[in-house]
Amino acid sequence: MLTSAAEPLLSVARLESGYGKIRVLHGVDLSIAAGEVVALLGPNGAGKTTLLRTVSGLLPVNAGDVRFDGRDFTKIMPREATRAGLVHVIEGHRVFTQLSVTDNLLLAGYDLPRAERAGRVEEALSFFPEIAVKRNERGGALSGGQQQMLTVAQGLVRRPRLLMLDEPSAGLSPVLVDRVLNVIGQLKQRGTAVILVEQLLEKALAAADRVYALVQGQIALEAPTSESDLPKRLERAYFGHESHALEAS
Amino acid sequence: MLSSIIASGLAAGAVYALVGVTYNTMFSTSRVMSFTAGQLAMLGGVFGSMFTLKLGFPIWAGFLLTLALCAILGVITEFIAVRPVLKSLEQHLYVLSTLAVALMIQQVAAIKWGTEPQPFPHLVNLGSGVWDEKFWLPVAACAITILALEYLYRRTLVGRAFLAIAEDNFAARALGLPERNLRIASYALAGIIGGIAGFSGGQLLLAFFANGALLNFYGFVPVALGGLGNNRGAIIGGLALGLFQQAANFLVGGIFSSVAVFTLFIVVLLAAPQGVFGGATARRV
Amino acid sequence: MTAVTASLPERTEAATWRAALTNALPFLGILALALLLPLVGNDYWALIGTRMAIYWVLVSGLNLIVGFAGHLAIGYVALLTLGAYATSVLVAGNVMPAIPAFAALPIAAVVGAIFGVVVGLPALRLRTFYFAMSTLGFATIVTQIALAWQSVTGGGVGIAGPVFPAPFDTAWGFYFLCIGFATFTTWLTANVARSRFGRALIAVRDAEVAAEATGISKPKMLIAIFLLAGGCAAVAGGLFATLQTYITPDAFTFDLSVLFFIAILIGGRGSILGPLLGTMILTILPEIAAPLAEWSTFLYALLLLLIVLVMPGGIAALLDFRNRRPLASNRAIVPRPGALADIVRRSKGGRALSLRGVSLSFGNVKAIDGLDLDVAPGQIHGLIGPNGSGKTTTLNVISGYYAAKAGSMTLGGDPLPAGQPSLRATRGIARTFQTPRIIGEASVLQNVMIGGTVEGKASFVEALLALPRNRQDERMFAAKARSLLAVVGLENLADVRIDRLQHSELRFIEIARALMLDPDFLLLDEPAAGLSVDEIDRLGELIKAIAARGVGVLLVEHHADLIFDICNHITVLNLGRTLAAGTPTEIRVHKEVVSAYLGG
Repeated sequence: MLTSAAEPLLSVARLESGYGKIRVLHGVDLSIAAGEVVALLGPNGAGKTTLLRTVSGLLPVNAGDVRFDGRDFTKIMPREATRAGLVHVIEGHRVFTQLSVTDNLLLAGYDLPRAERAGRVEEALSFFPEIAVKRNERGGALSGGQQQMLTVAQGLVRRPRLLMLDEPSAGLSPVLVDRVLNVIGQLKQRGTAVILVEQLLEKALAAADRVYALVQGQIALEAPTSESDLPKRLERAYFGHESHALEAS
Repeated sequence: MLSSIIASGLAAGAVYALVGVTYNTMFSTSRVMSFTAGQLAMLGGVFGSMFTLKLGFPIWAGFLLTLALCAILGVITEFIAVRPVLKSLEQHLYVLSTLAVALMIQQVAAIKWGTEPQPFPHLVNLGSGVWDEKFWLPVAACAITILALEYLYRRTLVGRAFLAIAEDNFAARALGLPERNLRIASYALAGIIGGIAGFSGGQLLLAFFANGALLNFYGFVPVALGGLGNNRGAIIGGLALGLFQQAANFLVGGIFSSVAVFTLFIVVLLAAPQGVFGGATARRV
Repeated sequence: MTAVTASLPERTEAATWRAALTNALPFLGILALALLLPLVGNDYWALIGTRMAIYWVLVSGLNLIVGFAGHLAIGYVALLTLGAYATSVLVAGNVMPAIPAFAALPIAAVVGAIFGVVVGLPALRLRTFYFAMSTLGFATIVTQIALAWQSVTGGGVGIAGPVFPAPFDTAWGFYFLCIGFATFTTWLTANVARSRFGRALIAVRDAEVAAEATGISKPKMLIAIFLLAGGCAAVAGGLFATLQTYITPDAFTFDLSVLFFIAILIGGRGSILGPLLGTMILTILPEIAAPLAEWSTFLYALLLLLIVLVMPGGIAALLDFRNRRPLASNRAIVPRPGALADIVRRSKGGRALSLRGVSLSFGNVKAIDGLDLDVAPGQIHGLIGPNGSGKTTTLNVISGYYAAKAGSMTLGGDPLPAGQPSLRATRGIARTFQTPRIIGEASVLQNVMIGGTVEGKASFVEALLALPRNRQDERMFAAKARSLLAVVGLENLADVRIDRLQHSELRFIEIARALMLDPDFLLLDEPAAGLSVDEIDRLGELIKAIAARGVGVLLVEHHADLIFDICNHITVLNLGRTLAAGTPTEIRVHKEVVSAYLGG
């Protein structure tokens, strides 16, 4: 029921990318329909962060293409991507520590018309009352979890069509993790599509409609989250073929 | 005697401090220490004298034209010496490219303007003795510039965007901030600040092409002392330097005062390579 | 004859001599032109030629600081000033009884050498821009002192330059004297460049972290070249004073400093020929036409800008014809692990590398929290774990880049000092890095040779004078490096510039470099990242062969299949702590390990 005849919101085909000479993605195919929540899983070094960065324009595309909302996004810059509705919340809860919470959000709305900015900031803060009360405090005064919420709020200022979240739960307590993932549910109701890169398997499967597993730069598995034997299949995808050591012994 | 040391020390120090702020403004958005800071200040004096004395424009017109030209030069520096180098992985290249541009500016000034110092006009004609305009003007200009920068950084979105890019360039880019345009704007701003430094210090230092190299060094000392990117440290460092230099001038004479300044500079740097107020270094591995 | 050496082309004495001659040819050509100049030129040309030679005497030494070590000493005219005044004062007899010019030069050289160290020492502490500024400050100071110290230097009035005895008191006589000095300093600095010291300088410049791991000590080397360059500059100063016949402080302009500096950068870093040509070009430039003389410094600066933007490698890169030849695009890496036995001596073994209770925090984050680890000789120990679990930090603590706040590290019972990475190489610990750290502009062979720097027997002076022990060293390094390249399957690329190679090739070259030390322990930081499946298999075979020689291997990796295939023992880290430790079979089915990877 998730497949539709119309073109997907985001489609990535045969994508190759990396850092200078180091090639990380070796031909990735991926698509996301409007309003879908997709989890992107995989072991470390597989290329999940690289994939998000390539899609949003932070890294150049070496081969393949990226299409968003019917437009060719292969040579996009992050600024244009954000304007078009593709918002990337990078990993590491990187807020501007010297600026206030409100200023951090205002900057997220830099390209918006001035009259709308304040309103959008309030809208974003409404998702996270915990930081709304701290709106005049410096970014550096917030705890790690609050900073993470702030970065997600920054993403929401632009009312994205597709929100890409890179490990939003990293270093967070379980309560805060649930808070952040809860927001995803609210976004889904509003029709925002989400790509969620996550380490926490169960939480990711609970929040998402579909899951992709990225291993060593290629998609090893794609399935709806409703399937029951997913954890086993993922384990096999992560650890690859049977190791020789087991056979010999 | 003491009062004239203080007056000239604060005045010279204010010019040095503004050149330090020029360095910082360029550094904060590009992580590049540019050799052109002192040259921009030199041009503030040279253009100021050229427009007002040689070409006879009214003071305010000469001032604005000077700032405009300095801003343009700042932008040109970004285009030819900074942006191409930022894309490369080689750390040292920006030192060379900005050095090259600075030398070219200096040579053109020497050839076209002349190698003799030229006078700089009185602007407002207020005060005499230790309260002479050539002493209080740089200090006033410095104070006004600092207040204006504070307003920019604290009250305008553009200013806060500058701060964001200075703190975390990658996160700013990912957020969709126009990082390239902001960098160009900050180089134009640096040009303006340098121009103000030179114009307000024109009566003190005269319109002299060799001021460029002089201010490159004396404007760098406040940055080294105060820590890279730290404007408050630059102001304190600049004023302290100015006072120290004038006191040394008085006590041991002109030639040895520069030896004294330099020795102080080296000793402080070797003891605290990040500056007295500076931050920690990045991890290497 | 082993299998390896039989298949390699024999590097005979004749071949080595031919290579040396090809390298020397351009220099001999320039020398021939210099010697022939009197036949075609007049006194004016003698003047230009002499000036060129004198500048080169200074630039050849400065080249080691700027071009090789990479320290931007912009204000080096200070040393020229010092040398000029020192010789003039000694010859004039202002301070002590007058001495002949030929005796004054060596004394000035010693003074220059010492002062060269003073000017250069801040380089050890200051960053690029700061150091450049400090040399500018020195230049100003020296000029000021020359102005002020009237009793000795004559102040603003100046002092007469030294005069050399016949036949060197004529224009052409003096010209030949300067050519002689220039040839001598060219020979000296070329010797350094082609020795392990020259390579070590470039290594510190471009890959400082890797250089430390190889055992290279930055301060000692820098002091050696500061002494040499200071001496050369002071001699140049004395000759300069003779050329000018009378010197005043304003003969030593900032423009001169700029000329020296830019000549090196236009010529290209890491080269002797390039800066030599650069010096010649920049000296002649103002003479070609009168307007050019006035704009000369502007042109130098413009040339510098163009070089930086268009051709950062300078003239040397332009003349590098060998590296224009295209490389085959479908290159496969086929290691020959079997050949390892003939090259790397079998480790004595017996000593284990042990960590007990090691802890390290970065700010509030506990990177490692009470870690116990043992690496036994001949065993492959795998270290795995999710992102941020502390794997690379552990390697960095073992190799000495970070000092642990608690716990102990021992090698065979002897403690390993914390925070001193350059001492690891002599203790027999070698490593590779997460991102290959190489010297882009050097050849593959040179990059590998750097790995064995600390094994060289010749001292700096022996290298300087090209004495036999240095030649032996070079033969040994080159032969061993070639054999190790054959082991990793890359011997055909030995003379190629390394930055033309693919990422996976760089990974194998790093291993060859590490093996140059015949290490007892090899630390590998994600060597399989970016490798294809075939390459990972071959990497596994290579690592097994290395361990079979008695080397203890600690392998940090993400690729689970490689880990389970070759490791004898695996430690799994999570959040800086040991989550599990055991054999691959045990770890493979360990519930907590699986869920740590999958999350939850």
